[in-house]
Amino acid sequence: MIVAEQKPLAEIKALIGDAQKVLVAGCGTCVTVCFAGGAREAAIVAASLRMASKLDGNAKAVTDATVQRQCEWEYLDEIAEQVRDADLVVSLGCGVGVQAMTEHFPQKWIVPGLNTKFLGLPTEQGVWAERCAACGDCILGLTGGICPIARCSKNLLNGPCGGSEDGHCEINADVPCAWQLIYDRLSSMGKLDRLLEIQPPKNWRTARDGGPRKIVRPDLRLASEEE
Amino acid sequence: MKHVQTLLKQIGLKPERVQMFNLSSAMANRFVEAATAMTNVIQELGPNPLKISDE
Repeated sequence: MIVAEQKPLAEIKALIGDAQKVLVAGCGTCVTVCFAGGAREAAIVAASLRMASKLDGNAKAVTDATVQRQCEWEYLDEIAEQVRDADLVVSLGCGVGVQAMTEHFPQKWIVPGLNTKFLGLPTEQGVWAERCAACGDCILGLTGGICPIARCSKNLLNGPCGGSEDGHCEINADVPCAWQLIYDRLSSMGKLDRLLEIQPPKNWRTARDGGPRKIVRPDLRLASEEE
Repeated sequence: MKHVQTLLKQIGLKPERVQMFNLSSAMANRFVEAATAMTNVIQELGPNPLKISDE
């Protein structure tokens, strides 16, 4: 899932500025399950902004609405009326949600209420950890299902660096060494021989280094759009 | 409870306005203590500023 964290209320207030009618828009997908921007969080942020603005002596009309997915324009139509009535929208979606709203409602000022952090999973109650860096050329098949791009601090492809100590990364003793994890995993599966194959330098053009990315699936395109 | 207190602080309200006391229905003395303690805290803090701004 996309993992995000709520911005401090003071920062959201600054982003809202002078707007009087504010809509806080939640998203029912990734940010709901990481407890950052779902219906519950949207209601709490809206109530907090109502109370804070009242205390500041300028009570704003803050409402909230949540869609199933902010990152698909079709779902945004459900809140079109609330968006139209607002001076400004605080999106509690990830960075994709904020931009989907900006593209779908070009006349409206949309501001982010979250900081989008990474692609990850919950490892225990209240803890999320990064697992995928969306590099665009998955090598998990070579590394036993453990990603050295997302989980090794140096993105190394051929084993650990000298900073790997007792299974931990030198940047922080709380961070496991990805290559130790890979070694242990391949060892337990009897596949250590896979490490003998030297990986050439990675082609980073499939990652962010190649600029903004896009996928076009001709099999899914509509004939009318192909023209 | 800590999270709610943090929220109140961010909003601009004193976090002490909300507190939680764990006690069973058989702990009458403890209930009185908690109610008295909370009453003292609230009296010291004064009325809820959100209500004052309504007037």
